[in-house]
Amino acid sequence: MILVALLLIPAVAAGSIALLRNRSLIEVIHALAALATLGIGLTAAIKVWRGNTEMIALDHLLRADALSALMVALVTLLGAIAAIYSLGYIRAEFDAEHTKQARTFFTLSQVFIFTMLLAVTTDNLGVMWVAIEATTLATVFLVNLHNTRNSLEAAYKYLILSSVGIALAFIGTVLMYYAGSAGSGEIAVNWTSLHAAASRLNPQVVRLAFVFILVGYGTKAGLAPMHTWLPDAHSEAPAPISALMSGVLLNVGLYALVRFKAIVDITLGSGYSSRLLLGFGLLSLAVASAFLLTQRNYKRMLAYSSVEHMGIICLGLGFGGYWGVFGALLHVVNHALSKSLLFMLSGTILLKYRTTDIRRVRGLLRSSPLTGGAFLAGTLALVGLPPFGPFISEFIIFRAGIESNTWVAVIAIALLVVVFAGMLASVNQMLYGEPPDKLARGEVLKWSIAPLAVNFALLVVLGLTLPSALADALKQAIAVLGG
Amino acid sequence: MFVELFPKLVNLLASLALGTAFLLIARRDLRGQVRLFAAQSFFVSILAAVIAVFASSAELFAVALGLALLKVFIIPAILHRAVSRIGLQRAVAPYLGAPAALFVCGVLVAIAFYVMAPITSSNPLPTADAVPVAFAGVLIGAFITVIRRRALTQILGFLMLENGIFLLALLATYGVPFIVEIGVFLDVLVAVLIMEVFIYRIKENFDSIEVGEMGRLKG
Repeated sequence: MILVALLLIPAVAAGSIALLRNRSLIEVIHALAALATLGIGLTAAIKVWRGNTEMIALDHLLRADALSALMVALVTLLGAIAAIYSLGYIRAEFDAEHTKQARTFFTLSQVFIFTMLLAVTTDNLGVMWVAIEATTLATVFLVNLHNTRNSLEAAYKYLILSSVGIALAFIGTVLMYYAGSAGSGEIAVNWTSLHAAASRLNPQVVRLAFVFILVGYGTKAGLAPMHTWLPDAHSEAPAPISALMSGVLLNVGLYALVRFKAIVDITLGSGYSSRLLLGFGLLSLAVASAFLLTQRNYKRMLAYSSVEHMGIICLGLGFGGYWGVFGALLHVVNHALSKSLLFMLSGTILLKYRTTDIRRVRGLLRSSPLTGGAFLAGTLALVGLPPFGPFISEFIIFRAGIESNTWVAVIAIALLVVVFAGMLASVNQMLYGEPPDKLARGEVLKWSIAPLAVNFALLVVLGLTLPSALADALKQAIAVLGG
Repeated sequence: MFVELFPKLVNLLASLALGTAFLLIARRDLRGQVRLFAAQSFFVSILAAVIAVFASSAELFAVALGLALLKVFIIPAILHRAVSRIGLQRAVAPYLGAPAALFVCGVLVAIAFYVMAPITSSNPLPTADAVPVAFAGVLIGAFITVIRRRALTQILGFLMLENGIFLLALLATYGVPFIVEIGVFLDVLVAVLIMEVFIYRIKENFDSIEVGEMGRLKG
């Protein structure tokens, strides 16, 4: 019942926002729906973790275990923060004459949340695929919301590349389904039934299927070399959508990947998927570090940094063992918190300076101290400095890596140093110096950036301690993945 | 009689479907390309209906009807409307000429047979022999999406890729469950409607539907 309500709220909200004309009413519904989704999402997640159990609804169509619960918690939390932020942001971006764009924004945001929640709470791998393809369809007009030449190019590229990429994931799903039905007769395309039949699957077919799955869902997760749409789409989308695309949508792609990995590892042993993940992880890190070193656009900088962090998470999954996977899941949380924080702040900077060019943003700390200070703190968190969460999770991942794949870990750490230098140099240019003369002092957005304090507080908490409730939740999620 | 003929009929229809993808490579005019896609969808839905009769599956027959309705009539109608609205386009040379592209397609077919070997060798179904043909259709669809400059032809490449995947699922497992099929149809329809809007917006902004004109986002 809880799972049905979780999906129903964003769906109903999207429908009603699409029909309404009154802008303040739309905003109220948007905010209330996001908060209600958060409340129900957290209730569901806590219930699953507390009881170390799973929830099932609609005749096994929906199913949430500890891993789904982690994703639900992330999607609903960041969804709510982005929803509050977007009230202020969209008002500043689209005045009363552009109510139509505002309505499109709020409607599609709710559809976007709905598709992500469906993807992580369904047991049917076919429905999961449909939902993940639908995330692309829901966001493509959001990327092109301003309908400029650049955003059009970004959105079209995103639409075609993601659709083709994810079509490959469907072939992988069909092949897994085939392996399942050949191995044990009539079978549902459910994760639970495939997982139960995993040891009887034809290993050759499974090997082939996983390559398709990895390339297909890897495209959605922004892994190199399938990442080429990502810097464009994530930098052209409105800030709250960039925050959700980088912060949670990439993780939904990874989620689909590890669901299959759990099955594949039973059939083939973990060596096969680990080698592939280490390869894609290292390549993503290398590509991202090269582009981060000379980046001139701060939104693209954040987007490439997402490619980097998805690479780090894949490395954690590839290093494997309890701590490798633990670090990877913890890093999913840390990256989501820090990247969404930075993307929303980048929206505030864009509203103030009206440019995404790093060289034309000067004196951020002076012109708007709050945004500038938070942007600095977020960047420090993102490049992995203490006392913030990503430091801990990267430390755990690379400790596991040094033990299992020393050379991969050493190369990855060297690449992280490059990223560190590149990002700090860029952000440094933005923070200091004289702000342009005609620029007014003070913050553009006031109350709507308040929820970002949640991201900040959680990042600090995760950097100083590991709450036992979270450690326990992650432990259960690892058990789902077979660790 | 039907049981003996069945694998041959399947192979024939699958090969016809693949043949239309080859023809699309050689064809320049947009309306002809749309008609080729409709023809391919027609062969695929007939194939689905034949398998539905053979496997006596009412569900699969419904899927075949749905496919025919969506991909032989509705989507081609949408695309023909798009062609009329953007007006006749002068012929644009693709990134790769037709002879070279056809050669690549030949190579892709060989690759498809190689990659899908584990499926054909392990699959007891009488339709399994045609699985590589379906996968070749997927690869050629992806290839068309990459080498063509016009947005509409790219979309046709994507749709042919979708047809190939449907065919693959059909031949390897007699189709995926009904609910998934419905979801996929819905996604494809929405994707085509969105792509249609993009054709208009690209035309409006760049004054042509050549994707090659776009290239500002780099680095």
